[in-house]
Parts: sequence; structure tokens; C-alpha cells
Amino acid sequence: MSGTRAAEPAVERAPARSTARTGRASGPAGPAFWTSRRRDVLTGYLFVLPQLVGVAVFVLLPVGMAIWYSLHDWNVFTGKQTFVGGEHYAALADDPQLPKVLLATLLFSGGVVIVNISLGLLIAVLLNRKFRGVTVFRTLFFSPVVVSVVAWTLVWGFLLQDNGGINGLLATVGIDGPNWLKQGDTAMVSVILTQVVRSVGINMVLFLAALQGVPRELYEAARIDGANSRTVFTRITLPMISPTVLLTAIVTIAGALQSFAQIAVLTGGGPGLSTTVLVYYVFQQAFKFNDIGYGSTLALMLLSFVMLLTLLQWQLRRKWVFYED
Amino acid sequence: MIRTRKVLSAVALTTVLALTAACGGSSTGTSDKAVELRMTVWTSDKDQLKLFDSIAAAYRADHPDVAKITFESLPFADYNTTLTTQIAGGNAPDLAWMGDLSRDLIASDALLGLTDTLKATPGWKYDDLLGSVTAEFSRDGTLYAYPFSNSPYALYVNTDLLAKAGQKIDPASLTWDQVAAAGAAVHAKTGKAGFVVRDFDYTAWNTLATVWTGWGASAWSADGKTCTFDSPEMQKAFTFLHDAAFKTKAMPGPGTTADFFAGDAAFTVAQVSRASLLTGKFKFGLYPLPAGPKGMYSVLGQAGMGVLASSKHPKQAADFLAYLTDPENAAKLAQYFPPPRKSLLTGAELAANNKVLSASQLQDAVVDQLPDAVTLPNHTSPAEIAQKGKTALDAMWRADADVPAVLKSVCTAIKPLLSK
Amino acid sequence: MGGVRTGRLRPALLVIALGVLAIPFVVPTVWMVAASVKPLAEIFEAPPSLWTDSPTLSAYREAFTFQPFARQYFNSVYIAVLVTLITLLVSSLAGYAFARIRFPGANALFLVVLTGMLVPSEVTIVPLFQLFKSAGLINTHWPLILVTALAGPCALATFIMRQFFIALPVELEEAGRLDGLGRPAIWWRICLPLARPALSAVAILTFLASWNLYLEPTVYLTSPDLFTLPQALTRFADSYGGPMWNTQLAAATMTVLPMLIVFVLAQRHFIEGLSHSGLK
Repeated sequence: MSGTRAAEPAVERAPARSTARTGRASGPAGPAFWTSRRRDVLTGYLFVLPQLVGVAVFVLLPVGMAIWYSLHDWNVFTGKQTFVGGEHYAALADDPQLPKVLLATLLFSGGVVIVNISLGLLIAVLLNRKFRGVTVFRTLFFSPVVVSVVAWTLVWGFLLQDNGGINGLLATVGIDGPNWLKQGDTAMVSVILTQVVRSVGINMVLFLAALQGVPRELYEAARIDGANSRTVFTRITLPMISPTVLLTAIVTIAGALQSFAQIAVLTGGGPGLSTTVLVYYVFQQAFKFNDIGYGSTLALMLLSFVMLLTLLQWQLRRKWVFYED
Repeated sequence: MIRTRKVLSAVALTTVLALTAACGGSSTGTSDKAVELRMTVWTSDKDQLKLFDSIAAAYRADHPDVAKITFESLPFADYNTTLTTQIAGGNAPDLAWMGDLSRDLIASDALLGLTDTLKATPGWKYDDLLGSVTAEFSRDGTLYAYPFSNSPYALYVNTDLLAKAGQKIDPASLTWDQVAAAGAAVHAKTGKAGFVVRDFDYTAWNTLATVWTGWGASAWSADGKTCTFDSPEMQKAFTFLHDAAFKTKAMPGPGTTADFFAGDAAFTVAQVSRASLLTGKFKFGLYPLPAGPKGMYSVLGQAGMGVLASSKHPKQAADFLAYLTDPENAAKLAQYFPPPRKSLLTGAELAANNKVLSASQLQDAVVDQLPDAVTLPNHTSPAEIAQKGKTALDAMWRADADVPAVLKSVCTAIKPLLSK
Repeated sequence: MGGVRTGRLRPALLVIALGVLAIPFVVPTVWMVAASVKPLAEIFEAPPSLWTDSPTLSAYREAFTFQPFARQYFNSVYIAVLVTLITLLVSSLAGYAFARIRFPGANALFLVVLTGMLVPSEVTIVPLFQLFKSAGLINTHWPLILVTALAGPCALATFIMRQFFIALPVELEEAGRLDGLGRPAIWWRICLPLARPALSAVAILTFLASWNLYLEPTVYLTSPDLFTLPQALTRFADSYGGPMWNTQLAAATMTVLPMLIVFVLAQRHFIEGLSHSGLK
């Protein structure tokens, strides 16, 4: 029996040869119902039961409830719910703040993904060689990942104050730094930067692993053929690590769309609406303005964005991702 | 096989046991036998909490059916959200402090009416309450929260800093123009800030009512339904503020913080209750707010404490509230919070408990100001109005802002909320 | 713009380039520690300097007296440990089953689990709040433990474990089966011990996910005694909302340093666990 190789596509291949799996329980009397195959199936269900119950109760049920809430008006003080049908959904179209929120979400997510992936790839490529101190740098770049999100954001907030460290450093070279957190465009830059620096370490590690999985022979063959560095990178390296690029893109976008703590702690959505991304807007509506109905509607919109993006990227994998087999 | 089943059931059992293992978190229910009351407050000042605890202890001595009275300090910045979460989560306190949340609570019938209880309590003296300070917490003649803190805004002056810049002011006839001029001079000469509207920080725009009232402006009509943010009076007031921030630099610009109590500003507009922040590092003066073009005026910041209708022990809670605010205890509270009782509102009375301010200062800045004072603008859905207003108002804080246009946009932003 | 060269840079230049890149990754942490021992008045001094002539630990003392910080620290730690243990168990069971056991509907059920990974917590927080309210569990740690251990982060963990188990050679299990071992025994005795890299990746990711929870504690917890660290860190504000910078930085330092030290000592396990987790 040849062993099964790890295959990328999602369908699992269970060994089909096990003789103990098929057929009835051989041997003397014993309940014929519980064949070993049936026992195996039961084991399967039992093994996945806790996870399924968790997802059903803590994810699927709440999504259903959120849909219910989006159809009602809810006074949190009196607990009264009134059915309003599609009123909140109609309000989505009339909300003058929503376009700004969506724009901020686009800028933030787009910015984070682009910078995160390029920077992660760049650092991984630079670190993909042996020299003294590689491990040190690897540790340094990864360290923000293990720092508490809130602590990291608080420190950056401290440094980005108008009279804080960053402007202080700029002043020593004669640059008058802007008030980072109080102006719309610089606030967005600040939020993107804080998020990227914090999370690029993970992508760096994944890219490093992928880069190290590229067979040396390919590079050598390319060199023999006289290819220059750029061609090597675009024709060999990138395609070979494309599954990883896809995966990190999905994970990074999903993460960016859900970055709540960073925004809440660094800018509180401000100044104005410039850093109010959708996830923060949901929180604001539901918890600061006590408008659960509208908040739930916005949350469902956020959910559909995440789902659509994931679906889109998964579909595109056929086009962009190069698999060995 | 039996062994498989054993392992499987062991796994299942362990999982279930681990998940239902007892003791997570705190129990919040009150037993029916002994009454426990909880009041949410936003102060974490140890002395204030000690005072509350001592009053509560005295109450319990006379009322053995009340086993415990706790004062839960919720962080000030998120107080409204936390309190709302407690109420929405079925975890509401019995009594609560409230600031701008009062309108929402009253409109949702979340508070117990107090008038009858207070009037029926012997010796409470309901008529001792100053009419102008109960309006904020009343509806249709019933009081829903006792206004325990009524702190007028006053002008603090750093006289040392003024002297350093060679500026002199005449407190008896001070106007905003004079303050702005002196502030600009202080900034030009010493680099420190001129005047600071404390707590504004280019975010909490409702605190600017301490300035625009002097121009006869208001954010919305008395019934709260019409927006008056774009009135000519408001335009003049904001032109004054805009010039101070960008032209004369009498007021620090967006993003620059200057703490008066650390000695970094010549003037500040803050509540009288903030006097506890004075450290004696510099000589100071405390005066009523300067006069605007429409003359003298006074602005008030209030806080109330009420009983939540969802409390499991409303009667005992209301009873305790009456005790906490009776003439004797109100005098004790008055050392931290300017009281609503006429009998306590004399300069001498207030000074008896105030370590920082003198009797005449308190008479001028507090007592004389309360009867005609206006509160900071308040409304239902205060958080949403604050945020939408702020978003529109952000355009004001640029050197080239078009003041009337920005004010109009504020009205456009908050109008839908006002008419609710 | 693919100007990345993969071959010719001189090592010294490389180190310099990397050093410059590394500045924003390292400086904030260093600054945080340095500023936390400065007196409050010097925190925003210009020009900025790392060192101070009068270092003080008063901010650290205040961090403990202003809030029940020690208690909050303990809360974060025990919740994260408990969540990690539960997730390791649940996800390795489910991941194994999805990878190795054929049962009807397995693929569909796996997709269901994956959706658990994609639904943002902001969508489910209000309904979950209502659910826990009916169970009387508001202002306890149960919502934090149960939801994190069984929903979002766990779904990712199940995904990782499944990928790993798929890649395990079947011969090892076949050998166990020939010895008469049933599924659970195979899982426990053969597959789990081999799954160490994946398990450590899961443990790290789950621990961090629980450690970093911010929205959930803010929504469910109202008693300062029950707060977790991220929540507590944002509460260091004076009575009118202004941040107490040095106390905040001191608390942040205490939150960050232990994790960093553990990380530096075990960074090999961290990073290699992640890279071999099969996520690629």
C-alpha cells in the first residue's frame, strides 16, 4: 500500500484499503448493528461534535438572531422590540455617513493588505539566506506579533502624539511632523502602519517557510539558462509560493476587516469619520448609540463582505495559484 | 469494543465536566432574605467613596433589613456605555449616577419617580431644592434624579503667569474679548497657552456652551426639536473661537494640549468642582465666566443620582436615596459636590467644607450663579448627537474654515436626531 | 515594481537595510519601557530622550493601586490557558476526524466549521450577549472562555489540525490498527504525539487570540475585578477621561515583557511551529 501524499485540494482522501472497515463484524454473536464501520462513523461524529456544537451555538445561531434584530427596533432600556421590516436596510441607502465609512474601510483594508504582503515578502526574501544575525532579525520582526494588541496600539498612540516621540525625532532633523492622530489622512496612515508593523511578522514567517520550500534545482537551472534576478523572482519564486500568497492575502484581508481594537484604542474612529471602518461603525451604532437594529444590519453587511471576498479569492485561485500537480 | 466506548465516554464526560466546572466569575443576584443595594458611580476618589460608605453604614445601622450597600466605581470615560450594558444585560444597579444619559433614561421610563418619596420623608424639606437645578432631571413635575452635583463653570486665572506677561485684568468687568487679548499676549510672550476650555479638546463641543451662551446662542430650541446651531448669534460666537484658535492664538490649536492646573495656561474655563486640582504651585483667581456681547451669563454642569425602575428593591433604594440626600448628609456631600439645597448655598456654608476656595470666591462663582444658570446642552441620544455634531464641526477647526457653512452642516447632521 | 534582488547584496548592506527596516518593530517596545520609568512631567519632553535622570517606579505602583491590576493579570492568564487547553482538545479531535474518518456529510460539516472562522465577532456579539444574559452569565468569564474556545479561533485550529493530519502518512495508523487499537487510541497514542508542530502552532495562535480579546471583555464585563488586561490597559484614565500616560505605559510594559521574554527564549518553537503548521 503506497502512502497517500499530502494533496492541496480540500477533499480529504481517506485510505480506501483498510480491510477492517467494510463488512460485518466477523466472529461470534454480537450486535450486528455496531459494525466496525458504523462504530467508526459514530466516532467520527463524536469527535467533531464539540466543534460543531460550538460553531452552531456561538456562530450560526447568533447570525440568525442578528438577522432577526435587523428587522426590529429595540429600546435597550425598556427591552421592547418593535418589528420594522426592512426599515434598517432602507436606512443603509440613506445613511450619509455610510459612504465615508465604506471608503475608510476600503482604504484601511487595501492599505493593510498591500503593505503587509509586500513588506512581508520583502523581509522574507531578505532573510532567506544564511548570515550571522538572521535569527536575531527574524525574532525582531516577529516580536510585535506576541505583544498584546492593545498595549502595542497604546504605545504607538503615545508615540504619535503631536508632542510625542515620533515628532520629536523628526524635529531633531528639522522636520515639523504633523499631528498624526488628529488629521484625517495622517490618522489613516497611522492606523495602517500600526496594524502592519504589528502583524507582518506572521506573514514573514509563512513566506519564509514557503520560500525555503522552493527546490534549489529550479534556481540552478534558471541560472544556467542565464536568467537574471528579476526573471528568477517573477517566473520561479512567485509562482512557487503563490499558494502561500493567496492564503496570507485571505487571512490578512479578513483580519483587516475585523480590526476593532486597533481603531478603537488609537483613534476612536476619528478625527471625524476618517478612520471609522465598518467594524468600528457597527460597534458605535450598537453600543454607543444603542441602535441594535441598525447595528445588526451593518454587521450583516460586514459579514457579507467577508464572505464575498473569501469566495472571490478562493475562486481566483485557479487562475493565480500554481500547483505542482 | 468496550474499550473504545470507555475512552469515548471518558472524553465526553471530561469535556462536559470541564465546561460546567463550578465557580466562574462573580454572582450578582441578591438573596431575597437580605436586601443588598448597589449604586454605580464614576468617581474613584478614595475620600469620596469613604464618605459614601460611612453614610451607608449609618443607614444600615437604622435599617437592619438592608444587609449591604455597595458603591461600584465605573470608569468615567465609558460610564454611559457600561451602565447601559448593565441595564441591557439584566444586571442593572439599584441606584446610579447619571450625567447626559438622564434624558434617555427618563424618556424610557427607566427611572423611578422620586418626588412622592422625598416629600413623604420627614425632615427632607423638598422645598429646599433650587428650582433651576431640578429642571434637568424632571419631567411633568416629577423629579427622577436628585441633582447632587451642580457645578457652575468658572474662569480660573493664573495670576502669576499673567503678571509674567505683563497683563492685567479687572475681574469685576471682565469680557471675553479682554480674556482673548490677554491670552494672546501671554502666548506671544511666554509661549504658554492663553485660555483653554477644559474638556473641549476639539472633541466635546457641548462644552463650548460655556462660551457661546455669552453671545446669546444655543444649540437647539428649549423643547429640543429645532436646531439653532446656524443662528447669527452662534456664528458670531464661533467666529470668536475660530479667531482665537487660528488668528490670535489666544487658544491652543487642535491637537495641542495645555493643562492649566499644571501651570501651562493663563486662563481656563472649568467647573468649580475642579478646584481640587489646584496644587498651590501658582497664585490663582476664580471668577464667574466673563461677559459676552449679550452680558453676564452662567453655565452649569450637573450630575444626578436616581433609582432604576428595574431594581429588585425599589422601595428600599428610594428610601436610601432619601437618606443619602437629606439635609444632614447633603451638607456632608457638599464638600465635594455643590448642592442643590438653598439652605446650603451660601458662601460661608460651602467654604466650611472647601479647603481650596474662599467663602467670597464660592459666593461669587457658585451661589450667585446657580439661580440663572443654563445647563450644558443635553438631549436624548446624546452620544449620537455628539458624534454627528462633531463630525460636522471638525471642518471648523481649520485655518480657512467657512464658519456659517460649517454651522449649517452641523444642523443638517443633527436635525434628524432632534426631531425624534 | 519587482526590484527585489535575490542574490547580489553585500552582507553588510543587507544588515543595514534590515536594521533600518527593523526600527519600527523594536523602538516602540524599547520606548515604552524607557518612558514607563520617567516622571510624568518628562514623558513628553522635547527633544525626546530615552533616558531620564530620575527614574521612578511610581507609575508601576500606581498601576496596581488604581485598578486591581494583579487580579486582572491573573484573569487574562487563566482564561487564555483554559481556552488554549480546550481548543487543543476540541480541534485535534475534530481535525483528526475530518482528515481521517469517512462519515456521511463530513465535507459539508467541515464547510460549516469553516464559516465559524469567517464570521466576525462584531456580528455575533449582540446576539451572544442576549444568549448569555438568559443564562445569567453576563459579567462572568464564561462567555469569554466558551466562545473563544469553541468558535472562531477554534475553527482555525481545526483547519490547521486537519491539514496536518491529512499530511501524516497513513502507514503509522495502519500499524496501530493492526495492533488492535481503536480510533480514539490511535488518535491519542499515535497521531497526537506526532502532531507536536501543529499543536504548538494552535496553542500559540489560540493563546494570543484569547490574550488579545478586547471587544468581548468590554461588552460582557462591568466589574473591574473581572476585567482582562487589554480592557484594563485602556482604563488608566483620570476622572475626566485624560490618559494617565506613565501609568498606562507601566501597565503595558508589565503586560508585554513577560510574553516577549518567553518568546525570545522559545522563539524557535514559535516560528517553526507556525512555519510547519501546514498553513502553506
